[in-house]
Amino acid sequence: MMSAVPNEPLPNDILRVRVTARDVDTLRALLHEVRPDTGGSPSIAPDGSAGIDAYVPEERIPTLEREGVTVVRIANASAKGRAAQAEVGAGNRFAEGAVPRGLAAKLPR
Amino acid sequence: MPYLNIVEVESALENLATAYPGLAQLIDLPETSVENRTIRALKIGAAAPFPKDAVVMLGGVHAREWGSCEILVHLAADLLEAHQNGTGLGYGGATYSAAEVSGLLQRLDLVLLPLVNPDGRLYSQTVQPMWRKNRNPAHGGGNPAPGCVGVDLNRNYDFLFDFTTAFSPAAHPQVSASPCDPMVYAGPHAFSEPETRNVRWLLDQYPRTGWLIDVHSYSQDMLYNWGDDDNQSDNPAMNFQNATFDHRRGVPNDLDYAEYIDKGDVDNEVLLAERFCQGVAGVRGIAYTPKTGFHLYPTSGTSDDYAYARHLVDPRKGRVLGFTVEWGTEFHPKWAEMEKIILDVDAGLVAFCLATA
Repeated sequence: MMSAVPNEPLPNDILRVRVTARDVDTLRALLHEVRPDTGGSPSIAPDGSAGIDAYVPEERIPTLEREGVTVVRIANASAKGRAAQAEVGAGNRFAEGAVPRGLAAKLPR
Repeated sequence: MPYLNIVEVESALENLATAYPGLAQLIDLPETSVENRTIRALKIGAAAPFPKDAVVMLGGVHAREWGSCEILVHLAADLLEAHQNGTGLGYGGATYSAAEVSGLLQRLDLVLLPLVNPDGRLYSQTVQPMWRKNRNPAHGGGNPAPGCVGVDLNRNYDFLFDFTTAFSPAAHPQVSASPCDPMVYAGPHAFSEPETRNVRWLLDQYPRTGWLIDVHSYSQDMLYNWGDDDNQSDNPAMNFQNATFDHRRGVPNDLDYAEYIDKGDVDNEVLLAERFCQGVAGVRGIAYTPKTGFHLYPTSGTSDDYAYARHLVDPRKGRVLGFTVEWGTEFHPKWAEMEKIILDVDAGLVAFCLATA
C-alpha cells in the first residue's frame, strides 16, 4: 500500500519502493541489470536476504519483480518532494543582514 | 526556519563572515558553477601563532539531499556564536563545554563548503525534487531528454575514474559512462566539472587538511575509505595504482583483490567514525553505523577516496582521511524532522573534530 502523501500522484511520478532479494547475489544482479536509482545503503538480514530502496516510476516496477525478489511500494517520492518544495524559503531571510543562528542550545560556562 | 534557498545559503555565509570577522572568513572559490553562480566556502577558526590543521566539509553535492547544506550552515553558526560568547553547545543529550568549543576552534580550521552544487539544488527545489546531478548540458550531445543533462559530481573525482578498466567484469559499480544516465554519469573525464575542481582547489589551498567529510543522505551511516573494494593492510602492492590488478577490483569477499590501506590510518578512521556515531547517538539515541564505503557494490570517483588517494599518488601532498556522512532515512524529510537530524549530525561532527586531537 502507498503511504499517505500530501500531494496527488501525477503521471511519471517516482515511487520509493523497497526491494528485498533472497540473497545478496540476487540483489546485486538485479541492480546491475535494471540499474534503478537507489537510496540508502543496502541492508543484509540475518537470514541472508538483502534489501535496498529503489526509486522508479510505476511502469518500471515490473522490471524489478522476479523470482526471489519482493517489491513493496513505500511512498510517492515525487509527491513528497513537491511537498518539501513548499518548505523552501521564499525571498531571502538574511537580506537585511540577519545572522544565522544554529539549533544547538548555548550552554553557560 | 524552512529549508534555505540558494540565495539564502550565499547570504547566510556572507553574514556569518561579517558578524564574526576574527573567526570566520569567506573563501571565493575559483570557478563559478556551470550556470555561472558564485560558490563560496567559509573558513572558521581562531587565529593562532602556529600552523593549524584543517577539516574540510562538503555539503550540497547531490542536489536532492538538501539538508546536507543546512547541516554545515548550522554547524558554523553554532560554533561561531558559542566561541564568541564563551558558551558550550547542547545538542539534545550531547553537550560540549565552552572549553571544548573554544579549544576546537583554536586548534583546527574548519573549511566548510555547504553548497558545492547550487545549480542542482535550485533545480531540485523548484522543478524536479529528485534531481541528483549538476546541471551541465555539455556532455549530452544535444539529446533533449532531461536525463542527458548533468554529471554525478560524486563520481567525477580522480580515483579509478576509468572504472571499466579498474573493476572486474563481475563487479557492479554504481557509476555510468553514459551521458544520459539520469543518476550516476561520471562525466567525460575526471574533474570535468567546475564544482569538483573547486573541491580539488580547496584541498590544494589548505595543505594541512587532515580530514575530509562529505555530507550526503541517506542511510544513517558514517563511511570511511575505501569504496572500491574490501580493505586490507597486508599487501601494499595490491593498490589502486597497480595496473596488475586492473579488471580484478570491486568483487566483495573474494581473494582476488582488496584495497590496501595503512593499518594506522584505517584504525584512526574507525576511531573517528565511531566517535562521530557516538556523538550522534548522544542527542536522541539514533544509531549511525561506521563502515567502509564498499558495501555490496563498489564506487569510483568519489570525494572521500580521492581525498585519501592524493598522498599516495603524490607523496608531496598531505594525507587526508576521507569520510562520507549519510544522514537520515529519506531525501526530503519535513523541515521539523530535518531540524532533529541537523542536531544529530552536528553533534557527531563536533565529536569528530574533538577526536582529531
